[in-house]
Amino acid sequence: MSVLLVLEQSDGKIKRASWEALAAALRLGPAESITAAVIGAQTAALAAEAAAKPVGKVVRVEHPLLAQYTADGFCAALQQLIQNESPTQVVFPHTYQVRDYAPALACRMGQVLIGDVVGIDDGPLFTRQLMQGRLNGSYRHSGNGPCFVSVQAGAFRTDGIDASATAGPAPITTFTPTIDAAQIRCKPGEPFRGSEQTVDLGSAQRIVSVGRGIKEAQNLPMAQELATALGAELAASRPICDNGWLPMERQVGSSGQTVAPRLYLAVGISGAIQHLVGMKGSQCIVAINKDPDAPIFEVADYGIVGDLFEVVPALTEAVKAAKQ
Amino acid sequence: MMNVLLPILSEPQHFSGWERAVFGALAAASLFGFWRRFGPILGRILQSKKDPDFHLFPIGRRVRDFVWEVMFQAKVIRERPLAGVAHALVFWAFCAFALVTLNHCATIFGLGFLDPAGRLGRFYFDFAAFFAAACAVGILALFVRRFLVRPKWLGAVSWESGLIALLIFALMITYLAAFFVPGTSDAARALWWAHTLTLLVFLPLIPHTKHLHLVLSPFTVFLSRGGFAEIPPLADDEDFGLVAGKDLTRLVSLQAYSCVECGRCMEHCPANSTGKLLNPKEIVLGLRGYLNEYGPHSEEPLLGKYNAQEAAFECTTCGACEFQCPVGIEHVPIIVGLRRGAVNTGAWEDDHGAKLFLALERGNNALGMSVAERDKFVEKNSLPLFDGTQEYCLWLGCMGAYDPRGREIVVALVRVMRYLGASFGVLRKEKCTGDPVRRLGNDLLFQQLAEANLEALKQNRVRKIVSICPHCVRTIQEDWKAYGTPPEVEHHSEFLARFAHQLPPIQDQEKIVFHDPCYLGRYRGVYEEPRRVAALAGTLVEAPRSHERSFCCGAGGALVFLGEEKGERLSHVRAAELAATGASVVGTACPFCNTMFRDEFATKGEGAPGLMDIAQLAARGLPD
Amino acid sequence: MKIVVAIKQVPERDAPVRIAASGKWIDEADLQWAMNEPDAYALEEALLLKEQAGGEVIVVSAGLERVGSTIREALAKGADRAIHIVCDDLNGRDALGVARLLAAAIQPENPDLVLTGLQSEDVGLGQTGVILAELLGLPHATMILHVEKTDAGLNVKRELEEGWFQSIELPTLAVLTMQSGGNKLRYATLMGIKRAKTKELRTVSAAELDADGAPTVVLEQIAAPKKQKSTQILPGSAKEAAVALVEKLKTEARVL
Repeated sequence: MSVLLVLEQSDGKIKRASWEALAAALRLGPAESITAAVIGAQTAALAAEAAAKPVGKVVRVEHPLLAQYTADGFCAALQQLIQNESPTQVVFPHTYQVRDYAPALACRMGQVLIGDVVGIDDGPLFTRQLMQGRLNGSYRHSGNGPCFVSVQAGAFRTDGIDASATAGPAPITTFTPTIDAAQIRCKPGEPFRGSEQTVDLGSAQRIVSVGRGIKEAQNLPMAQELATALGAELAASRPICDNGWLPMERQVGSSGQTVAPRLYLAVGISGAIQHLVGMKGSQCIVAINKDPDAPIFEVADYGIVGDLFEVVPALTEAVKAAKQ
Repeated sequence: MMNVLLPILSEPQHFSGWERAVFGALAAASLFGFWRRFGPILGRILQSKKDPDFHLFPIGRRVRDFVWEVMFQAKVIRERPLAGVAHALVFWAFCAFALVTLNHCATIFGLGFLDPAGRLGRFYFDFAAFFAAACAVGILALFVRRFLVRPKWLGAVSWESGLIALLIFALMITYLAAFFVPGTSDAARALWWAHTLTLLVFLPLIPHTKHLHLVLSPFTVFLSRGGFAEIPPLADDEDFGLVAGKDLTRLVSLQAYSCVECGRCMEHCPANSTGKLLNPKEIVLGLRGYLNEYGPHSEEPLLGKYNAQEAAFECTTCGACEFQCPVGIEHVPIIVGLRRGAVNTGAWEDDHGAKLFLALERGNNALGMSVAERDKFVEKNSLPLFDGTQEYCLWLGCMGAYDPRGREIVVALVRVMRYLGASFGVLRKEKCTGDPVRRLGNDLLFQQLAEANLEALKQNRVRKIVSICPHCVRTIQEDWKAYGTPPEVEHHSEFLARFAHQLPPIQDQEKIVFHDPCYLGRYRGVYEEPRRVAALAGTLVEAPRSHERSFCCGAGGALVFLGEEKGERLSHVRAAELAATGASVVGTACPFCNTMFRDEFATKGEGAPGLMDIAQLAARGLPD
Repeated sequence: MKIVVAIKQVPERDAPVRIAASGKWIDEADLQWAMNEPDAYALEEALLLKEQAGGEVIVVSAGLERVGSTIREALAKGADRAIHIVCDDLNGRDALGVARLLAAAIQPENPDLVLTGLQSEDVGLGQTGVILAELLGLPHATMILHVEKTDAGLNVKRELEEGWFQSIELPTLAVLTMQSGGNKLRYATLMGIKRAKTKELRTVSAAELDADGAPTVVLEQIAAPKKQKSTQILPGSAKEAAVALVEKLKTEARVL
């Protein structure tokens, strides 16, 4: 049996999610059975990076038409590689890019991708989440042909990987697929950021939100420092904006914006319904409040009951330390 | 005695044929003038769509309202006593003058039936004279008010009003003067003609001015829908509310033409007094303008030239306008009708509104919260579940189930109910009663919610509901009727007041000011019960605007779901008014009022009064 | 422009999930159903394109009879006609099996554009749209927020990770999977529902479409996840709690 691991790159480096996929692949077979593939127009550096990890071999899938990601290009290239390598399993990190092409690739081979896997058990049985995380489902591959699996970011720890690297770098080979320019039907443009002028809390991944507990406008810089350290946007509950301490467009709540970031830090916010309806969809909610009965703790995943004037600076310190 | 007070009214005895001809011609011209203007108006009213739910019977209510509001001028006087009495005198004078005028016109043909020298005639003419004098005084006072004092809700200086006042004054003076000239003199004849000409000029002016209410308003009051802020059912599959002229019903058209432009609705409108575009007077006059230009068959949108969509959606449905109107105009169904026209056709594009509708399309509650939150609350507080055997079903509503403050109210009420040994339970699942979507005019969603709820209540064998929210109470009792028979429902203030004598009062007496919720006070007529409960925890003081004059907190009409207001915030104005009474506690009986004031008092800091629902006030005295 | 929108009826978002006795799926009794939210956004985008450029919007959905209510909702919101693929065992098919059904129904329509939601709220595979494109032989793009028709074809705005976006040009005949939140959804109106009564809703059985449904991936079993959501209060001094929180956010919640 052999595992083909498809690595993804960003800005000339292999993305962390790819190493997590490697950790998953290592559950399916030993390092020697894993073939890591790097894809692009110039993949020498990428291949070298991959070769230092615990894999059996590295394949450079290179073609000028693969310089920029397109579904057509990647599908064509990988289909040919798979036909060449005949792996039993093909493992991907579950990134936006993979979601864009892997299902089509699997379809071409009469298979279906088992996507966003969070666990692998004997069988192999693949666990993925259903009903927005309220249930887990165990999936088994039953067709003839390779089993396509993509792995959720953060589901597999990469701790052991460098340590279990094999003695020397893995051998690197090159595979040149046949791709015609006419096959590529989409023309992707350069990535760009959302508009900088307006505060778009809706697309912020992290938000630090302040409430009445902040007491005075001059205490805001302390919250701003935490936000900056976290790479987060600063937002507020209604009374703060009413007082003019922050502009109205930073208001989260029923009369302000509705947000659903990955991390929402509610600082000194009690959790009135008008505020809750604006942020209850956040993936991870942290509450800092000195009142242990504050309603915000009902919806929080993590809470610190304490004086925010002590907790917030301590948190800023801890975040900065963790980044190093 | 009368002989001493007034001489005999003079009446010219003989009129020449020439005079009769002139009178006949002038009278014909006057009547023609009147009809030329009034005819089309009447036509527009009668050609409007029939009201689908109009029933002449039971007639008792109509007669009662007519006598109270028209004959006794009760509404006119109550809200503006001095001006109201002045107007009442003018009105009663008009009533008294009916026979006089008839007789007056008959005399030129020798057909006078009231003999000024006879006992009946003398009595009647003196009786009318008393009213004429009162009327003259009254009209003078009103003239001074309109032209010298100039209260702002009467609008810009109106020359037509001045002219009418002058004519009425002239009518009274020419009548009174006739007592003091000999019957056969030229002066008597001159006065007769002066009075007649004044009359004949006045008549055609009536339909040209707001004085059309002289003719129409008695009918408007008599034919009104009854109830308060009652939203009529949609007529059929093609009826989406008040979209265009062809949707205006006879009642609405009648009301549009009856408006006296007194401005009482505008004066009491909370939106209008805080700088919003909405002006209930302009809504009604806008319909009148529309009918005059486009007529009752038009497809032209009502929300266009004469009325703005923005204004229609600034209404909290507090009902202060409708409550005040002395001529029986029902503003709330009109405004909700305009909203229906916009929402049922999808013409209303509002982010917050769409969010509210989508939340209720896909879920159970107006706040978009997960049902699991309600389940957690019920479980955490060990609320008994309703199983069909208990007497009361305690309806939590969206606020009671999801809002932290609403939950505190529920917990307090439950404490009191347990203390009283009441038998009650909470439903496992509740859907929003649909109040916000009803007031916004979304009939599709409202029907779905009403029907689903009625079915669920039937299956759960609910017979009596107690609710902490006046909006739920109103919607269940009145609005659901269109889709089935709702169970009995009462507000928790009514429940608690019944047992107030069993509840221990507390010793330290705070000053409490009770804020009358719109949907409990004006809508339900419940003013004393919550006060009886609040009195358990302190001494009551009243806000300047209380009882039926209570000033809206700003949450009603689904406005609490619609985002930021224009102008000054209603809750801000009312909160300031309540705080200014010097009370240390503001008592509320509606979770929406409670949440609106909570934000206001929170920003005030230390000096702000406490805020408690009457359930919490009642629970204060309970042993722990 | 002729646009086909594939929609799915899923359990209402708030619905309490109970595992059926078989352990293979949830107990569907007492559930309330709604249109999958990303599909609602796809429908909205289609309706906006129709309003701008004219054309026709056709909705397609597969499933049991109850799916009809969601289809009628789509008609009420403005779709012109609908196709209901009556299928008893949608859950028994994998994404390829479902896509084959849809492709068989959609192909004869010869649409200019096919829109689907990015993923479903129940199973959440996010693949059906992409596989559908492959089966129809059409180019595709995923995570789309806006669609603009140009002379050459389409210009779409795609969402990337970490707050980045990308424009993609593709020919008009394409399949797009739509991300939630790109537009504002319209609400169902009384007028819409009344009009929907006269719109065509064609039913076709899965058997008629003769689309192979044997799965290559099988959902063996479902179970409740071991960790339930509960609030973890971090104890200790401000400093200790802060450090512990950062650790949790990094390793447990994985948001740092």
